[in-house]
Amino acid sequence: MTEAAETRGSAVGRVGGRKRQVFLAVGGLFWTWLLARWAYHNTLLDGLLTAVGLPDVLRSDLGVSQREPWLPADWFAGVAANLATDAGGVSVLVVDPLVWLFELAALAAESEPALAAGAFLTVYLTVLSMFFGLFIAVPAAVTRIYGGPISSRISLAYTELIRGTPLLAQLFFFYFGLPLAGFISGFRVMEVSGMPRAAAVVAIVAFTINSSAYQAEYIRAALQSVDPGQLTAARSVGLSRLQGIRHVVLPQGLRYAIPGWTNEFVYLLKYSSLAAFITVPELFRRARNIGSDTFQFTDIYLIVGLLYLALVITTAMLMNRLERRVTIPGVGMPAGRD
Amino acid sequence: MSLLRIENVDKSYGDEDVLHDVSFAMETQDVEVIVGPSGSGKSTLLRCVNRLTEIDSGAIYLNDEEIHSLDENELRRRVGMVFQDFSLFAHLTARGNITLGLREVLELPKEEAVAKADDYLDRVGLADQGDSYPAELSGGQQQRVGIARALAMDPDLLLFDEPTSALDPELIGDVLRVMNDLAEEGMTMLCVTHEMGFARSAASTVTFLDEGRIVERGPPEQLFENPEHDRTNAFLGELSGLH
Ligand SMILES: Nc1ncnc2c1ncn2[C@@H]1O[C@H](COP(=O)(O)OP(=O)(O)OP(=O)(O)O)[C@@H](O)[C@H]1O
Ligand SMILES: [Mg+2]
Repeated sequence: MTEAAETRGSAVGRVGGRKRQVFLAVGGLFWTWLLARWAYHNTLLDGLLTAVGLPDVLRSDLGVSQREPWLPADWFAGVAANLATDAGGVSVLVVDPLVWLFELAALAAESEPALAAGAFLTVYLTVLSMFFGLFIAVPAAVTRIYGGPISSRISLAYTELIRGTPLLAQLFFFYFGLPLAGFISGFRVMEVSGMPRAAAVVAIVAFTINSSAYQAEYIRAALQSVDPGQLTAARSVGLSRLQGIRHVVLPQGLRYAIPGWTNEFVYLLKYSSLAAFITVPELFRRARNIGSDTFQFTDIYLIVGLLYLALVITTAMLMNRLERRVTIPGVGMPAGRD
Repeated sequence: MSLLRIENVDKSYGDEDVLHDVSFAMETQDVEVIVGPSGSGKSTLLRCVNRLTEIDSGAIYLNDEEIHSLDENELRRRVGMVFQDFSLFAHLTARGNITLGLREVLELPKEEAVAKADDYLDRVGLADQGDSYPAELSGGQQQRVGIARALAMDPDLLLFDEPTSALDPELIGDVLRVMNDLAEEGMTMLCVTHEMGFARSAASTVTFLDEGRIVERGPPEQLFENPEHDRTNAFLGELSGLH
């Protein structure tokens, strides 16, 4: 399974030639839009600019529903309406798709501010959860392989419990089961503007724990593919077991883990949509809400699908880059392993 | 006072006896060569000395200290090991392979560790390969880095486990030259090797190990020219037949 997944990950990441340039151009546009939207409505940045005497450059005061689209939504809608009423004798085979295309563009433009907010939250949830998850995953994987009979079993139980239960169930457990959201809301930091809402924090906690188990499995497999002679050599120099793991096994094993890690990243990007069910307004929930407002479910899910795709491809490309960057002759090239 | 004293050591894996009542002693500056057929327990014996493997009974003394009374990391710092398959740290450069122990075990400051590493690389004839990764080096070069890595820890004793048997014939010479130099400089070495030329020129004592027992032990001339036991004779005959 890992094998197939690895190839899939790298296939998306490695695009060459002309196609690559189109990719980069579209990706550049996408990220410019996402980051510009983020900056435009960012409380901290707005505060900074206001402090230096530029109060009205950024608009962090606008709620998501009040934000104006940056694309001419009304114009797209107008074109679609005109075409639909007066096709000028052109065959419906041509007109109908055109009408749909302009309606789609109108919907995309109309929902652009909300989708940007959602996509940003999706990235935020995923990146933070992967990051925090890594700090659980590495000790869990090391304990699993090198720990004593009890600690390695605890680590095994942890990863199997998490991987053996549905992510949605875990989310509900933390959100409804434990009064975690109320607990989090009780902290005064939560009143600082710009902090994610309690539900988002609960989602990060659940995703961190969930992804830590999967990351631990990928890392465990990678650590086990490091030649055991490497640790023996470290110990024969006088390094303790822990030093040997830290300075010899991990630097090699973590390189091997990058393809699996990329996979987990991509999975979590998509699975973070489950946070919609605990009211977190990430990309999928934004789309669903727009769908129920406009009844254009198919269209909005198509648009959102493209946005997820852009996120996934970006991740794969960045991870590919990282992998090449940390490659050392003889280590970390998954193809040339063993 | 002997540098290394091995007394009545037994070791078995499950019900397979690997070492049987092995005893011998080495003085400072001795070069002891161990020969014996495959599976006779040569590697196991070396690994018992730096406690990569624990003995079942008997005792091993380093400078009259029982090795189990020492901290195992300290013991390994004092007993260097060179491996058949080199076992260089694959993610570190030649220099990094040497500095890791200097920094983490001896806790030398970075500049000092680097200077020392470059010194030892120079000694094994690899002054210009400090930045190469193991995969970029030939087997002979890798093994010389392996020797430099062990040497840099300033050990009392160096263990060699068939250091040249994974090398192409034309690369063996470079490694043997380094080992010969070390022997001349007075390094105490316990070597498992079937390089008879090295044994003749450098060894103070040769030990023939068979089925976990010391069959015969003596100066190289005696063992090679006048072995007491037929088994020794037969084994050495086979060895020279191979060369
Ligand atoms: N970790 C281990 N677990 C079980 N048996 C082992 C282990 N290590 C070695 N042995 C067994 O002990 C015996 C001696 O092994 P050892 O490696 O010491 O022999 P050797 O003389 O070094 O042989 P070679 O010349 O092939 O390297 C062999 O029969 C081997 O199968
Ligand atoms: Mg051996």
